[in-house]
Amino acid sequence: MSSRAEQDLTEQTAQPEPRPGAEGSISADGVGHSYPGRPERVQALGPLDLHVRPGEFLVLVGASGCGKSTLLRLIAGFERPTDGTLTVSGRVPEPGRGAGVVFQQPRLFPWRSVGGNVDLALKYAGVEKADRAVAREGLLERVGLGGTADRRIWEISGGQQQRVAIARALAARTPLLLLDEPFAALDALTRERLQEDVRSVSHETGRTSVFVTHSADEAVFLGSRIVVLTARPGRIALDLTVDLPRSGVDPDELRGSPEYAELRAQVGHAVKESAAVRA
Amino acid sequence: MSTPAHAPPAGGVAAPREPRRSRPPARLRKILLPVLSLVVFLVVWQIVAATGVWNETFVPYPSTVWDAFVAVSTTQDGTRGYQGYLLWEHLYMTLRRVLAGVVLGVAVGVVVGLAMGTVPWVRRVLEPWLTFLRALPPLAYFFLLVIWLGIDEAPKITLLALAAFPPAAVATTAAVAAAPVGLVEAARALGAKPGQVIRDVIVPAALPETFTGIRLAVGIAYSSVVAAELFNGIPGIGGMVKDASNYNNTPVVLVGIAAIGISGLVIDGLLQAAERRAVPWRGRA
Repeated sequence: MSSRAEQDLTEQTAQPEPRPGAEGSISADGVGHSYPGRPERVQALGPLDLHVRPGEFLVLVGASGCGKSTLLRLIAGFERPTDGTLTVSGRVPEPGRGAGVVFQQPRLFPWRSVGGNVDLALKYAGVEKADRAVAREGLLERVGLGGTADRRIWEISGGQQQRVAIARALAARTPLLLLDEPFAALDALTRERLQEDVRSVSHETGRTSVFVTHSADEAVFLGSRIVVLTARPGRIALDLTVDLPRSGVDPDELRGSPEYAELRAQVGHAVKESAAVRA
Repeated sequence: MSTPAHAPPAGGVAAPREPRRSRPPARLRKILLPVLSLVVFLVVWQIVAATGVWNETFVPYPSTVWDAFVAVSTTQDGTRGYQGYLLWEHLYMTLRRVLAGVVLGVAVGVVVGLAMGTVPWVRRVLEPWLTFLRALPPLAYFFLLVIWLGIDEAPKITLLALAAFPPAAVATTAAVAAAPVGLVEAARALGAKPGQVIRDVIVPAALPETFTGIRLAVGIAYSSVVAAELFNGIPGIGGMVKDASNYNNTPVVLVGIAAIGISGLVIDGLLQAAERRAVPWRGRA
């Protein structure tokens, strides 16, 4: 954690001091979200209770429209829940404070080069200009894009763009990393490679990660914990702790193991069932 | 967040080139067609003039206009150009006025557009005034400017600035208001403060459309140049045209019109080139 960013966090937040050890935790109590509609408000999510410990890799799974992206946006602080209380690292979440976000589309700034996009994130994170070049190269190397800093955004592939987006989200060294179906638009091979990279990045950095997907396979491969949401309004249908061997295991071997297949079937079944309620 | 079925794969693979056929190369066609249209135009003009349907004062021969062009561009028999100034001197003065007016109008327009696009109440206050100004032909307020500012450079430059201001402001407002929400959100998620979001995301995102507004502004200012040089406009292309029309000197009027049109084409070409350099991401994001 860069001390500068951390200082900013605590200085600018006029809230009670977070509990010690809460850094990277998520706490949702009776959280629900609704928005105006006709003839009455539409309940998109919850109410639900969810507590995430620091360092967990939580995957939110559910059919389209179940509110899993809404929950992620609430955790990111883009929106406030209409019901209940939600805290991240012990505080009310706000964008740019404590959580890096990777969206479904890379959302890179096309007027900046690959490195320029990462530089901007470093600047917002309070990294001094003199230190940015080294930090930028380190981040790009971590996502497998070393030496591409000068490339234009439109010159690189969709998978590479999403890698840049991940590097950018890691720049602030926030205790949380939020990913909203980041690989949905990518081909299967690129997706698998990126999944492996995201898993090792989150493992190495010890960040709490929340990953939204509708793929049971992706959920089992990535998650240390899987939460399946019901159809709208999304409630918790299944809360599963995954205990697959992670370190030192070949990804293909992991995917081929019977435990993996069993978990996959269990999660897939739960997702289908929760979607069927709606249909 | 809603999920579009498939985002197009961005970049990576080069688009397939159009296969070359035995037709003339694209570049040749690009030059050939405009030249051909010019030749056809001159031929039709010559024929129309030769039929004598209209008096030569109204429709002079192309050669007469060419002679006028040469006369205006050189010193002949001790007569220097038109009213003592050569064609390029008229053009230079006009371009100087246009440049000053456009720089002023565009600078103010872009700043006002930024404010209107980012602060809702500013937009609500200023938009009716802007639309009002936009609806006025420059001649309508020129007489007021002459009363206020006299007949020297001030009213001319002010008129051109007032003409250039609305398109720049309107385009910037629209561009800023249309800045992609996704990119603004991404910047906020990275910890950008409101001022940083404006500087690092909204302004560059608005740049391509603002450039279009600037090109429009230059075009409108340029088309107001004859009005601006109505009084005391010599040296100046507009002044020259106006003065020549007083004497039914159609050839010089046509030379002036051609000079305005051709220099307008050149300026727009330069602006387009500048745009390609300044916003290479246009159409790619």
